[in-house]
Amino acid sequence: MFAGFDVVAQSIGQLAEPITLALLVGGIVLGLIIGVLPGLGPPIAIALALPFTFHLEPIAAIILLLGIYSAAIYGGSISAIAVGIPGTGAAIATVQDGNKMFKAGKGGEALGLSLTGSIIGGLFSVICLAFIAPILATVAIKFGPREFLAISVFGLVVVVRVAGESLSKGLLVGALGIFLTTWGLDELNGTERYTFGSYHLYEGIPLVPFLVGVFAVSEVLIGAERALQKLDFDQTSLTVKLPGWGKLMKMKDILFRSSALGTVIGIIPGEGAAVAAFFAYSEAKRRSKTPEKFGTGHEEGIVAPETANNATVGGALVPTLTLGVPGSPAAAVLLGAFLIHGLAPGPKLFAERPDMMYAIFIGLFVINILMMVIGLMAIRFAAKLIQVPTTFIVPTVLLLSFVGIFSVSHSFFNVGVLLGAGILGYVVRKLGYSIAPLSIGFVLGPILENSLRQSLVIADGSIGEFFNTPIGLGIYAALALTIFGGPLAGWAKQKMFPRAEDA
Amino acid sequence: MITQRAANIAFNILVIVAAVFFALEAETFQTSGLLASTGLPSKFFPQLMLAFIGLCSIIVIGAYLFRGYAGTDKGASVFEDGGAARRGLLVLVVAVACYLVWSLWSFIPMLILIGPACALAMGVRSPWMYVSLLVMSGIVYLVFTQLLNVQLT
Repeated sequence: MFAGFDVVAQSIGQLAEPITLALLVGGIVLGLIIGVLPGLGPPIAIALALPFTFHLEPIAAIILLLGIYSAAIYGGSISAIAVGIPGTGAAIATVQDGNKMFKAGKGGEALGLSLTGSIIGGLFSVICLAFIAPILATVAIKFGPREFLAISVFGLVVVVRVAGESLSKGLLVGALGIFLTTWGLDELNGTERYTFGSYHLYEGIPLVPFLVGVFAVSEVLIGAERALQKLDFDQTSLTVKLPGWGKLMKMKDILFRSSALGTVIGIIPGEGAAVAAFFAYSEAKRRSKTPEKFGTGHEEGIVAPETANNATVGGALVPTLTLGVPGSPAAAVLLGAFLIHGLAPGPKLFAERPDMMYAIFIGLFVINILMMVIGLMAIRFAAKLIQVPTTFIVPTVLLLSFVGIFSVSHSFFNVGVLLGAGILGYVVRKLGYSIAPLSIGFVLGPILENSLRQSLVIADGSIGEFFNTPIGLGIYAALALTIFGGPLAGWAKQKMFPRAEDA
Repeated sequence: MITQRAANIAFNILVIVAAVFFALEAETFQTSGLLASTGLPSKFFPQLMLAFIGLCSIIVIGAYLFRGYAGTDKGASVFEDGGAARRGLLVLVVAVACYLVWSLWSFIPMLILIGPACALAMGVRSPWMYVSLLVMSGIVYLVFTQLLNVQLT
C-alpha cells in the first residue's frame, strides 16, 4: 500500500518547514526534561503538551508529540542511572545495573549505552512501523464489528493481565473505564444515558480532560505526598561516553533481540514500555553466559531494557494508527491528540491522509537521529533537573493541566472533568489499582460497545455466527496463547526436563 | 494509618452501591421513535459493565475479608505516614478550592493562589519557593495569553 513518491516528497516538504523542525527539536528537549523528572512519564508529557498543539497544523502537532513521546521514554533512564529513581516506569529495569555503574564512576558509559540502545531500538521500530502499518491497514479496512470486538477484548485483557498484581482489581478498573464511556447520547439510537439533565454530558465524558486528569493530576497528588524528599547525586560522572563500534558489535545480538521484542510487545495493544524493558532484561540475562553479573552494574543490563523500551514507540503506533486501538497509555493520549485535530486513527486514515502517515514515519526516524545529537549535548543539563524540588513541580503541573484543558475547550465543565478524573485516578492508585486499564478501557469503551452490539445483531442469536470470522478467531487464539502460552510452556518444560527446572 | 484492607473494603462497598444506583438509573433510559425497536436496548451495555464491576468488587472484598490482601499489599497501609497523607490530601483540597475560585470569581485570583497554596499545603518554609511559584504562575499566564492568545478569564 505504497502511496507513491509524490506523497513521500509532500510529507518531507511538510516536515522540512521551519516551524515543524523547530517543534520537532522542541519536542525532544521537552520530552527529555519531563522524562527526567521522576514520576512524570510519556503520557503526562504528551498530555501537558496537548493544549499547545491545538493551534498548530495537524502534522506539526503530531510531530511535536512524537518527539516528546520518544524522548520522554529515553529521559526516564537518566534519573534511573544517576539517582536510582526511574523517571518513567519504562526505566525501572535500568535502575539496577545503571545506578550501580554510576556509583562505580562509570556514569558516562552507562548514559552512553542507554542513549545508544534507545536510538537503535527506536530506529528499528520505526522501520518496522513503516513496513507493517500499511500492510495491516489494508487488512484492517476489511474489519467488521466482530473483528474490532475481538481486538478490543484482546487489548483489554492483555492490559489487565500485565497492569497489576491483582487480576480482579485490574478487571474492575478496566470495566470502570469502559462504563464511563457509556455516558452521553447513545451513538446507535440517540438515547440519553447518564446525562443528568446536563447538555455538557451529551457527548459523554470528554477524552482529553479525562486522560490528563487520570495521569497528570493523580501524579501531582501522589508527588505532593513525597514533596519534601531531597535528591542528590555525584554530578562529575555525567559526561556521556558513547560505546565504540567493537562494543556495539559484541552486543549486536542483544540489540537486535531487544529491538524486536520491544517492537512486538509495543504492537500488542495495552502492553507498554515497562513490560518490554523487563522482558528484554530477563531475556538478556537468561541467554547470557554470565547471568550472575546482571544487577551488579553490567553493561548488557542497561542496553537490553533501554533498547526495548524505545522500540515500543514504533510498535505501539502500529495498532494506534491502523486500528485506532492504542498500544500503550501514552498512545491512548496520542489518540486524543489525533481526535482534537479532527483525525480518526484507523485503516481509513491511510487512504485519506497518506501524507500524514509518511510524515509520521519519516518524522519518527528523524526524531531518533536528532535524539542522539540532543541527548549528547543535553544530558548533563537534563540530569541536573532531577534536583528541581517536587514542591515546585506539583503546582506547576497542576496549573498547566488546568490552563491547558481550559485553553483547548474554553469550558469549566472540562476542567471539572479533569479534576474529577484526577481524584478518581489518585484514589484508585492509592488503593493499589493500576490506571493503565482505566485509561485503555476509557479509550476502547466506545469501540467495544458498538462492535459488541453490532456483532450481536449480525449473529442474530447464533453463537456460531458470532464467531464466524477467521480474523476474529485468529485474534482470540492469539489472546488464548498470550494467557495460557507461558504457563503451558513452563508446564511442558518441567515435564520434559524435570531436573533442569529443579536446578 | 488506614490499612489497604480497610480502605479497599470500604471503597468496593461504595463501588457496589454506585453500581446498583447506575443500574437502576439505566432502567429509566428512553429511546423514542423507530430506533427504539432496533438492535439491543441502550441500557444493555452499561448494565453489563455494572454487573461485571459489581462481581469484581465482590471478589476483591472477598479477597480482603478472607485472605487479608489482594495482590502484594499484605499488611500495607494506604499512606506512607501521617505527613504524606496530610500533604497529599491538602493539595487535593487546594486543587478543588482553586477550581471553585476560578469558576466563582475569575482566573487571576486562582492564578495567584495556586502556587503558594500548594506550597503551604506541602509544608514549604523557604520564602524563595513562594516567590518562584508566583513567578512561574506569571510566566504561564503570559505564555497562554500572549503567545497562544488564550482568553483566561
